[in-house]
Amino acid sequence: MTLKTTRRGALTTLAGAAGAASLPLWARYAQAQTSEPIRIGFQQHATGIGAAYGRWYGRTTDAAAKLINDNGGINGRMVEIVAEDDGTDPKRGAEVLEKFANQHGCDVGFGTLFSHVVIGSAPRAGELKLPYFVVSEGHHVASGMLNRYTLQPGITDVKSQVQAMAPYVAENLGKKVTMVFPDFAFGHDHRDFFTAAIEAQGGEVLEHIAIPPSETSFTKYFPKIPRETEVLYHVMVGPAVLTFVKELGEFFGPSRPEMFGFIDSLEAVDLASPGLDYLDGTYFWEGNPRHAQEDQSEYDKAFRAAVGVNERGASISDPSDVSTYAHMFGCWETLHVIKAGMEAAGYAGPNDRAALIEAVEAMTDMPESLAHPQGAKIFNGKTHQVFGHQYISRVENGNLVKVHTTSIEDTLYPDEVDYTTQSF
Amino acid sequence: MRRPITAMLLFTLCPCAAYAHAAEQGFVLLLPTDIYIAAGAASVALTVILMAILPPGAADRLFATRAILRRAPVKGRHAVSLLVTLLLVTLVWQGLAGPRDPLRNPLPLSVWSVWWIGLVSLQGLLGNHWRWTNPWTGLGAGLHRLTGLRAPLRYPRVLGHWPAVLGFLAFAGFLLADIAPTDPARLALAVGLYWYAMLLGLVLFGPAWMVRAEAITVAMRAYARMGALGRRRGRLALGLPGWQILARPSPPLALAVLMVILLGTGSFDGLNETFWWMGVLGLNPLEFPGRSAVTGANLTGLLIANAALLAIFAGALWLGERLAGTHRPVLTAMRLFAPSILPIALGYHVAHYLTAALVEGQYVLRALDDPLGRGWHLLGLTDFYVTTGFFNTPHTVRTIWLAQAGAVVLGHVVAILLAHAIAIRDGAETRRAVLGQAPLALFMIAYTVFGLWLLASPRGL
Repeated sequence: MTLKTTRRGALTTLAGAAGAASLPLWARYAQAQTSEPIRIGFQQHATGIGAAYGRWYGRTTDAAAKLINDNGGINGRMVEIVAEDDGTDPKRGAEVLEKFANQHGCDVGFGTLFSHVVIGSAPRAGELKLPYFVVSEGHHVASGMLNRYTLQPGITDVKSQVQAMAPYVAENLGKKVTMVFPDFAFGHDHRDFFTAAIEAQGGEVLEHIAIPPSETSFTKYFPKIPRETEVLYHVMVGPAVLTFVKELGEFFGPSRPEMFGFIDSLEAVDLASPGLDYLDGTYFWEGNPRHAQEDQSEYDKAFRAAVGVNERGASISDPSDVSTYAHMFGCWETLHVIKAGMEAAGYAGPNDRAALIEAVEAMTDMPESLAHPQGAKIFNGKTHQVFGHQYISRVENGNLVKVHTTSIEDTLYPDEVDYTTQSF
Repeated sequence: MRRPITAMLLFTLCPCAAYAHAAEQGFVLLLPTDIYIAAGAASVALTVILMAILPPGAADRLFATRAILRRAPVKGRHAVSLLVTLLLVTLVWQGLAGPRDPLRNPLPLSVWSVWWIGLVSLQGLLGNHWRWTNPWTGLGAGLHRLTGLRAPLRYPRVLGHWPAVLGFLAFAGFLLADIAPTDPARLALAVGLYWYAMLLGLVLFGPAWMVRAEAITVAMRAYARMGALGRRRGRLALGLPGWQILARPSPPLALAVLMVILLGTGSFDGLNETFWWMGVLGLNPLEFPGRSAVTGANLTGLLIANAALLAIFAGALWLGERLAGTHRPVLTAMRLFAPSILPIALGYHVAHYLTAALVEGQYVLRALDDPLGRGWHLLGLTDFYVTTGFFNTPHTVRTIWLAQAGAVVLGHVVAILLAHAIAIRDGAETRRAVLGQAPLALFMIAYTVFGLWLLASPRGL
């Protein structure tokens, strides 16, 4: 009896196997696919110049993937983050994308911050036909220098950020501006975009003071600031930023012009640090308010809890470990866009990559939600770039207090490219 | 966006990596490092003066040892070595099959954080643990015992330690100039192939291969001379780090050269991150283009730095011999005094990697918590986040910086003491020893300033 049952069981199994073998190839493929996770290649700056950002981008990405998986994944499949270090190096960046496509079987590439890595990697993404979702803020996507496979749906670009500051600055701080910026591409972007934007508001830039990138003392540049300056626009970066603030304080004392800066200068630096008290009463652009505001949304609250940062944007396990709060939401939102795109496209595997890109291109309004805790956004499918609210905060006793939220319209500019006309 | 800002925030896995951090570097630039540097150099200069006025045996007595254990030879080092081999094989396998993130994969963490930062420092500070932790000797001894075969080839004496010198330079090149030394798969290949090649050497040439040609063992044994713990007259003895150098005969020339290269490589490791070096290469330090852009430059710089240090060191010795009228050939002087460089190299190694150790130590803990990346929490670190918060407050940054500076200054002080003791032991009376050492002492004071300047300089990597 036992033998008989066993034989029958064996026969059944055999029949099943034969049945499976007789299925058409595509059906077996689809079945295997559904049990496989969705693999998202995370091009992470784990080492190199971008590593501090990479650490927080990693933390945010892990938190977003966990949330997506806890809610059933994407199209019923779990999300697996495959993190590869690109060393913040364009050459390695391109190699990493190749590994994603050819070795790790990733469905998409994601997560790059530094411009030179994006620019070095995007052509390879195009060759590999691998959708490449960057979180870089660079204008390189919307400027048309990349390709149809590269998209930036989770973070706004520097051009829109800078130009959106001009109306508030002109109206509230002053129309006569002096700009201090490091003398290379990053500073030049600010110089070009803001100068044009403030002129459009009827203001003017009295003086452009370009500081050599290797400079570590600034006193000799300050006398170039014209006396009639109403607003000092500063975007200094690098290890000498604290020295810059200190020397600025020594130069101006209490009778300073209004000051406006980008939080990039002090991203991941505690504003309550000694020496930074001189910045009290000055203004900063913030991509996402680091300190929880009075009108904090439930989504921001949930985002902080998931990533593990407190109301001051610092790690819950160490309040002196300040996050890159103005930027890292971009990873969270981009992953949710990938999820929405895959669901809209019925994404089943690499054959649907083009459909995924078309689905994202078709997106427009992205309402504020748990998927978009930084705020509502509008995606431009032609330029592959998202647009959204920007924030201006005033430093008050070491706290960044939001004083202005730009409209999305303030951040828009005419299209410079239409990627949808490019073939896959 | 160009994110140069992060130039200030970087912290990376050890190769290429001072764990520079925005705030940390910013706060260091605000410290009165000029005063600290002057104080450090003055301490070293004071040591020189003390050596000149104290009686001849003073330095020697500082290196006196105390026996702490009458030690029967402890057995089992081959067994431990075999376990280390097993661990290494597991790590290489994880390098190929484990997580791709170098901060999660146990192989790069073990090689760069645990071994290169931690175990190398321990070897120098404490003593020769490499006798036990060497991943070849246990297997070599086991193979010998199983097969009963002797090494078929005799190690060519004429090669001396020179293969190890070349091997160490190759290692330094990988550390400083390879495009991705922390990439788990790449590192697994490098470690696996090197391990296998050296095992082959051991089997073919016997133990002479290990102590002459295998660069890691030779470097580790060189650092072991600095250990506070060591064997003396059959006992375990404790003394001021450096005592073992005095207790041993001077090294052959190639080994002496390797000792200088340990320092030259460490110094270039610091130098290649500075704004100054970026300026030499014409790179924007706030927009470092990545290691792939500096491979050739770093290799060249590494060789030039070592050649320059060898030349300056030999020059100082040559001048000293002339001044003191001892007229030893410069190569003899080099063999005699090169070990006195070891404490400087060790002090700088500790100082340079202290910040990295503070951060990477946490990644190591996290990896121990979940060694195979399966979501385990063997150490119960469920809500564990790596932090760099101590780079964010001025007082912690000052403490860290002063600890680094302390390691550099102490290294130089011990070096001065050692050099003096070596000279006296070699038969010079105090006046001649002091005269002969004047150029070397000046070199060491200048090197103190250089080492501290490296720690205080803004970095773009």
